[in-house]
Amino acid sequence: MNPLKTAGHPTQRIDALKRVTGTATYTSDKHFPGMLYARVLRSPHPHARVKSVDVSKAQAMPGVKAIITRDNCDVVWSSGDTRNKRYLFNNPVRYAGDAVACVAAIDRHTAEEATRLIAVEYETLPFVLDAEEALKPEAPEIQPGGNLSADDKGKREAEVYKRGSLDRGFAEADIVLEDRFQSAHHNNAQLEPRVSIALWEGDKLTVHAATQGIANCRTDIARDLKMPVENVRVVCEYMGGGFGNKNQCQDSDLMAAVLAKKTGTPVKVEFSRKEDFISVHGRWPVTQYYKVGAKKDGTLTALQVRGYSGMGPYRKGRGDQGGPEVYQCANVEQSVTTVYTNMAVSANYRAPAYPHSVFGLESVMDDIATRLKMDPLEFRLKNMTRKYRDSVEYSSIGLEQCLREGAAKFEWKKRWHEPGLDTGNIRRGAGMGMGGFGSSVGKSEAILKVDSKGQYHLYVGVTDVGTAAKTTMGLIAAEELAVPLEKVTVHWGDTADCPYSVGESGGRTTSFTGVSVVEAAKQLKKQIAEKGMPKGSDMLTASVVTDPDTKGLARYSFLADFCELEVDMSTGHIKILKFLAVHDSGRVINPLTAQSQVQGGVIQGLSMALHEELLYDKRRGIPINAGYYGARIMTHLDVPLVETMFIETDDPFGPFGAKTLGEPPIVGVVAAVANAFFNATGRRIKSLPFSRDKVLDALGKKEVLA
Amino acid sequence: MGKISRRRFVEGTGAGVIAVTAVPLEAQQKKSAATASGAASASAAPRTKIAVTINGSKHSVEVEDRWTLNELLREHLELTGTKLGCDRSECGACTVLIDGKAMYSCTQLAVWMDGRSVQTVEGLAKNGKLDPLQQAFIEHDAPQCGYCTSGQLMSAKALLNRNPRPTRDEVQHAMAGNICRCSNYNHYVEAVIAASDTPSAKGGKA
Repeated sequence: MNPLKTAGHPTQRIDALKRVTGTATYTSDKHFPGMLYARVLRSPHPHARVKSVDVSKAQAMPGVKAIITRDNCDVVWSSGDTRNKRYLFNNPVRYAGDAVACVAAIDRHTAEEATRLIAVEYETLPFVLDAEEALKPEAPEIQPGGNLSADDKGKREAEVYKRGSLDRGFAEADIVLEDRFQSAHHNNAQLEPRVSIALWEGDKLTVHAATQGIANCRTDIARDLKMPVENVRVVCEYMGGGFGNKNQCQDSDLMAAVLAKKTGTPVKVEFSRKEDFISVHGRWPVTQYYKVGAKKDGTLTALQVRGYSGMGPYRKGRGDQGGPEVYQCANVEQSVTTVYTNMAVSANYRAPAYPHSVFGLESVMDDIATRLKMDPLEFRLKNMTRKYRDSVEYSSIGLEQCLREGAAKFEWKKRWHEPGLDTGNIRRGAGMGMGGFGSSVGKSEAILKVDSKGQYHLYVGVTDVGTAAKTTMGLIAAEELAVPLEKVTVHWGDTADCPYSVGESGGRTTSFTGVSVVEAAKQLKKQIAEKGMPKGSDMLTASVVTDPDTKGLARYSFLADFCELEVDMSTGHIKILKFLAVHDSGRVINPLTAQSQVQGGVIQGLSMALHEELLYDKRRGIPINAGYYGARIMTHLDVPLVETMFIETDDPFGPFGAKTLGEPPIVGVVAAVANAFFNATGRRIKSLPFSRDKVLDALGKKEVLA
Repeated sequence: MGKISRRRFVEGTGAGVIAVTAVPLEAQQKKSAATASGAASASAAPRTKIAVTINGSKHSVEVEDRWTLNELLREHLELTGTKLGCDRSECGACTVLIDGKAMYSCTQLAVWMDGRSVQTVEGLAKNGKLDPLQQAFIEHDAPQCGYCTSGQLMSAKALLNRNPRPTRDEVQHAMAGNICRCSNYNHYVEAVIAASDTPSAKGGKA
């Protein structure tokens, strides 16, 4: 790849100073004159008909300004469910945590006290938490039409992908393995809790939201409140993380807007940490049944996976299960059944379809390699994808280099041994996982101006969720303009002056909006060449819309993760000793912030593998450990030094060759941990997370717990 | 109700009802703040007058007994650099120094601050010069979303105040109470080592 002048070099964030001095203004830091505070009352039952909501006592409390319930608010939150009508307040309530009322008062203490004065009469209904249980005929119906959620075409059936013939594939196989894997609902747990502030000026609404995408947040709000989109403004200048749970508009945005309209004053809706854990969403739990066939030489002949995704009671997320596309195999059948349950809602969390699904897939592949007495690295090199679904060329692919160069750096041959050969109380093992993540291209916009002093002003609709998106956009502009980064002032986070951007989800901003920025810079350079630099208060402006396609090619980022760990056989404690994450995300625009993304994603994956699960009281259907302590989110004390390595392919469709980077770092982590555990102990854990009881169970030491 | 200017309040001469005045953040909103009625004026919650030093300046304020220190800082003193992540002593985003010790401001009541000294992230830079920790945080890309950053800084500050040459392990222990869900722990630790007097800080392999 040709070296670049500005992009491609480690660069500090353009807003770093604000972030370290406490002057970056997040949504919750904002205050407006007369602003009211709002709190939500939620259902304590997993499934119940709301017979009545009596707000009279709460309404009479001094300082209470407005209360909304289903009785006086029938706003539908359309981004909260893509299949059913999900209201801000639903009847019946379908999970413990479903909203019943929202109170606006002069301060948060008053609002909180008032929620306790609301008397709700419930008629409790039977509930079901497990996806497979929910499909049985005797299971309570959670949504009209049944618990099998509809596919994209509205049909109530599993999404199925097929190629070749499984019968032929299994007939050709020398060995066939079958297994079942399960994962847990776990929460995004971003540090900034949900918060929305709404202000009305006549028929114009401004929402200060904590959102990953100001543009889609705006259109969603306009749609749900039945307003012209130009009358809605969304502002989010600093955002305290989301990892997928702040996409689109939030119910809190709509509640704030409705209450602000009712009271004629600005309203701030805040969720508590516990509410954020149980009433927003986490990653969908999956159950997967695998059947895989291979020849003696290691060639995969058949890959069948039947998966179930528990979505909670609303279809907020896709519920898909990824991974098989990184294997070359003539005969594949994958079905995913998305199911309603009365658990907390499940939707996007970093690489939504991947780490849990790849855990199952890569565990099975490791077992096949073991049975064939093959090195798992050689097995993957033999069977890794060459073409997407064995038929479509990739725009760029560095997977083989990820595997080979990663293995060399990790010293795979030295660290990996035959599974279960280690002895003693502390046993050591190494494992790996590989993966891919779709790196799409699509529509975006950018506006670039230059003033008479030669300063460039870039307007992009990003919010920067922590990925350094605004710095990335500045670097891309500076590179194309051939000016230093300081000559580019980036404007972001306000729909009043920033054009459409896709929203920071799906790892799309660099590819989508980055391409717009390159094009805007090209057009502005052309204008400057034709007209000369502007004079006085004049500006030259390039305003572009780009909507590229990949010309029939598949576009993917790839990765390989390598993990070495130790297992204490008497206590079941797992200690991560070494972790190497190798990524092909095309050209890396900013190596400094890219490393942060990868290290962070890996540690989130380690936390997912070893710790996190929203536990339920199965008799009552209520979550019992919502919060950071309960989820045992990894802290400074738990984390190893994560090594990173980038295989920089030159992708023809991204800005300067860049592909998706934000989502992939978590994709293969759980799998690498699972396989390292197997390598250390010769035992396999088939259910996430690898909590102490499951580890001891796998080690045959259940009695230790008794 | 009485009104008091923001300046008098910050200078520590204000008392009484000032604590109920809602003060907006943005400069342009400050004008309207002068005419804004006190947001919590209807509250009959018990109040107590306290004297507290914040970032070196003395404040005499009347606080509601139920207010946390976090609430006093963020809602009534306009010091929003200190964040609130969980409001239940789990995450550390609200960490401040109380008499030099790193503590969670979400579970300290404001009334307990009488006679004590509080330092927040706003008090780290001196005379326009960043604290070495802040500079190192920038250089090592320690903040991603940045929401936990103020808390990380304050825990690190407390550590370096008592131990100017910590090992990597000591840094991890001192900051164990500060969750970063972006999980940029490696960069945070590298940054703290780099800002310390610990030799060979490069690369974070202290």
